[in-house]
Amino acid sequence: MADVAEATERTPVSTIEKPQDIPAEWQPNVLAFACHYCAFAAADLAGVMRLSYPPNVKIIRLPCTGKLDHIHVLRAFERGIDGVFVAG
Amino acid sequence: MIVGQQKPFDEIWSMVRDFKKVLVYGCNTCVAICHAGGGKEAEILASMLRMKAAQEGVDMQVDSAAIERHCEPEFFEPLDEKVRTYDLVLSPACGVGVNFLADRLAGAIPVYPGINTSFYGGVPEAGFFVELCGGCGNCILHLTGGICPIVRCSKSLMNGPCGGTNNGKCEVSDQTDCAWYLIVERMKKLGTLEKLLEVQPPRDWSTGTHGGPRRVSLEHIRAYEEKEEKNAATEGK
Ligand code: SF4
Ligand code: SF4
Repeated sequence: MADVAEATERTPVSTIEKPQDIPAEWQPNVLAFACHYCAFAAADLAGVMRLSYPPNVKIIRLPCTGKLDHIHVLRAFERGIDGVFVAG
Repeated sequence: MIVGQQKPFDEIWSMVRDFKKVLVYGCNTCVAICHAGGGKEAEILASMLRMKAAQEGVDMQVDSAAIERHCEPEFFEPLDEKVRTYDLVLSPACGVGVNFLADRLAGAIPVYPGINTSFYGGVPEAGFFVELCGGCGNCILHLTGGICPIVRCSKSLMNGPCGGTNNGKCEVSDQTDCAWYLIVERMKKLGTLEKLLEVQPPRDWSTGTHGGPRRVSLEHIRAYEEKEEKNAATEGK
């Protein structure tokens, strides 16, 4: 049945960053959408091999990256993610 | 199907910027197929408007929804009440949908268009749409091998081609096929070329778009519906 997708959150106007020079130590907040069958398995393997990756990358596992809709990427940006990485 | 294209984002923003609570209300039929105004596009547009509002320091709530069709009353019913809680409906449905909803809301809240409705067309390949009919109200495709000279010929000629036909292309643009070239080739294949020797008289445009809104009324269906309603009313008594 039809329903309204209400905005889950509204970015408070006061928290919006104005364009500024990027400090040297700044790290972007990156969200990775990874396919269960390839990219996520690779990340898993990296873990098994005790390889490390930067902590500013967070991974979301998808059954398939074909599941990724535009809105998922846009929502990440709405919530303050700086970069989205899709691997699959 | 009806084909449309989303309006430039800046134009949309200038329409909606003064409202506090906006519903982007998509239609999941034609405009979803042309990636202009279905549920997905409504979600995307709502998200872009939220980000724009935040960037501009405008306090605005933007939600999205979509129903299967914006041109029949039944589909609107489940969301009717909710829709009326907004200050503005931004509708990326075709112009029919925008009109239909605006009539339905009868001035309670405004309904603004999110897309430019372009034409009735087909989808020969994914992401490509072409105009194939102009809804002239008096179809003559049986005379032209199934190729519409009203919209596919730049001059809507009834007896073509004109002198501008150029190696299968129209003089208006080398990107545009000459409809009358296509008609002649099609009629050759169909073995009916000699039919084109018959000169078509000037067209009667009274069935066209210049005499106010056109209507189609199926009396047998309307009579049946009326009877059903009466029956239901007497049973309910
Ligand atoms: S002749 Fe008229 S009804 Fe037929 S396809 Fe052309 S515009 Fe449409
Ligand atoms: S060149 Fe062909 S399509 Fe173009 S106006 Fe002439 S007849 Fe029509």
